[in-house]
Amino acid sequence: MTATAARTGAIDLGAIGATLEPRPMVEASGVSKWFGDVVAVSEVSFTLGAGVTALLGPNGAGKSTMLRLLAGLVPPDRGELRILGRDPRADIAVLRRIGLVPQQETVFDSQTAFEFVHMAGVLHGIPKPDRAAKQALALVELEHRDPRRLSTYSRGMRQRVKVAQAIVHSPRVIVLDEPLTGLDPRQRRHMTRLFHELGDLGCCVIVSSHVLDEVERFGSNVLVIAQGRLAAEGDFRAIRDLMEDRPHRLRITSDHPHQLAGHLLADGLIMGLELIDARSVVVETNDVHSFRRNVAVVAREIGARLSEVVPLDDDLDSVFRYLVGRP
Amino acid sequence: MTAVLGSRARVRPWSRRPVPRRGRTSRTPGAFAAIYRLMLRNQASIGRVFAVMALGVGAILLGAAVGLQHTVDPVHDGAELINRYGLTILVPVVTLVFSSSTLGDLIDDRTLVYLWLRPVNRLTVAAAAAGAAMTICLPAVTVPLVICAALTGGGIALVGGTAVAAAVGVVGYCGMFVALGLRFKRALVWGLAYILLWEGYVAKASKTASRLSLRAYTRSVVSQYTGVRLDQAGLTIVAAVLVPVVVGIVFVLLTGRRLKKTAVD
Ligand SMILES: Nc1ncnc2c1ncn2[C@@H]1O[C@H](COP(=O)(O)OP(=O)(O)OP(=O)(O)O)[C@@H](O)[C@H]1O
Ligand SMILES: [Mg+2]
Repeated sequence: MTATAARTGAIDLGAIGATLEPRPMVEASGVSKWFGDVVAVSEVSFTLGAGVTALLGPNGAGKSTMLRLLAGLVPPDRGELRILGRDPRADIAVLRRIGLVPQQETVFDSQTAFEFVHMAGVLHGIPKPDRAAKQALALVELEHRDPRRLSTYSRGMRQRVKVAQAIVHSPRVIVLDEPLTGLDPRQRRHMTRLFHELGDLGCCVIVSSHVLDEVERFGSNVLVIAQGRLAAEGDFRAIRDLMEDRPHRLRITSDHPHQLAGHLLADGLIMGLELIDARSVVVETNDVHSFRRNVAVVAREIGARLSEVVPLDDDLDSVFRYLVGRP
Repeated sequence: MTAVLGSRARVRPWSRRPVPRRGRTSRTPGAFAAIYRLMLRNQASIGRVFAVMALGVGAILLGAAVGLQHTVDPVHDGAELINRYGLTILVPVVTLVFSSSTLGDLIDDRTLVYLWLRPVNRLTVAAAAAGAAMTICLPAVTVPLVICAALTGGGIALVGGTAVAAAVGVVGYCGMFVALGLRFKRALVWGLAYILLWEGYVAKASKTASRLSLRAYTRSVVSQYTGVRLDQAGLTIVAAVLVPVVVGIVFVLLTGRRLKKTAVD
């Protein structure tokens, strides 16, 4: 309790601090977690405030472990975590303000969607769990009167029920582990919009993903995690540029590939090239943006027909490897 | 773009709600009932119910068989049957099946997170799990055993002793096996090892080991009620009734403590 609260014996100002002063809602400092020999999260530090933050990383990067640490499901081996100024493992009262969508698909199969979300509300001690459960289900476009058990639900429907149980108690910190998996494009858009609205309301929304396009839609703030380490942090555009600001390899298919490659080299648009066959070459460039802008122009100038430009290493893995390998 | 949250957001500015003070977790009325109901429903699987019914019918048939033989000492023979079949197999095995899975199943299918994430005292979760297991096991073992005892012709003392022994056994074993389900991935195997190896062999070898097996207490109840001398059953009625109940309670407390510290998948 703060000194003021102790004096007045009334409202704990420290507890409402997050809205009175710009204290970070989520704070990780030097957090490490390992499972046996596997280092899942290594020396990660960041602070987050209100709004949507994407946690981006390839499979096995440590995203789920990081999110589980945030929700207090596992203790860190090193470092400290603070959610709304509290340690989520030592102080379970703070769980009232945290919502989590875990990665696993399983839910309580013997319950209906309403029972599942209602139970979450009851266990969170909210005053009107009935109403809140109906509203939460409506927010994810599920019918609260559906009598079917969750065991009969599709993957996408389960995903939405999981989101409903995470917001039924109006949490301030919402942690979602790959919440868009299994959803159709329309539902993806709907969910993304919901996350943004929650962020605009002042909630700290953390969404993990291994899909770059998805992250682009989540918004501007991104944490990139690879091999357990925080590889980059900041605005999505800055991170995208960082990812693109590296040697790219692309395959060009054309009726005059060699001639085209020669001109590109002469213009400084590519750094190196490798002849593949009579119709294609592989080129390497450091500035993929201006390469893409200019390759068609050069082709037109020399009268070559460009059939295809395919990036060879645009998969996220190579991007992450590059980011992690940076000094 | 239409708003998803709509008017709800305006009515309730969630982001401004204060964080409850530390330790304020007990204000979740209905938490015990909700978890208890969930556990009861999870346990009601056809396979389990069928297996338990088969064991119960077995007890009744055995009781009838002993009764029909019209032996010289039906009290002694009845007590031996209750001891050998009821207290040695039926009570521990049925409670093992239903207790170890209350929390164990949630760990296996990774749904424990949906209880753990809530600001609910961990002891409440442990107590609800044990309570649900007992709710199923008490009738599931007491009813067939009491019928069995009655059919042997052992009289009211045997029937009463059997009912009390089965009930205190259920309380002790339930607490123990709920904890086992939280602690071990293969709780059924560990539980059977305890029942068969520890209670079956090791407990026979030494008096101390015998005191550390619940069966010594449940037997003593039957022995005290009927006056029949049973193997490793020399405890007073007070100890025989109290110790299993205390064991059950202590294991529920331990389960609550372990839940607090456990890493949840
Ligand atoms: N309970 C556990 N026991 C042992 N190793 C674990 C455990 N949880 C995670 N790991 C390991 O930690 C590393 C990070 O795993 P994590 O699940 O956090 O990755 P992720 O980024 O969520 O991957 P994905 O995109 O596949 O979900 C992996 O090498 C994984 O094998
Ligand atoms: Mg994951």
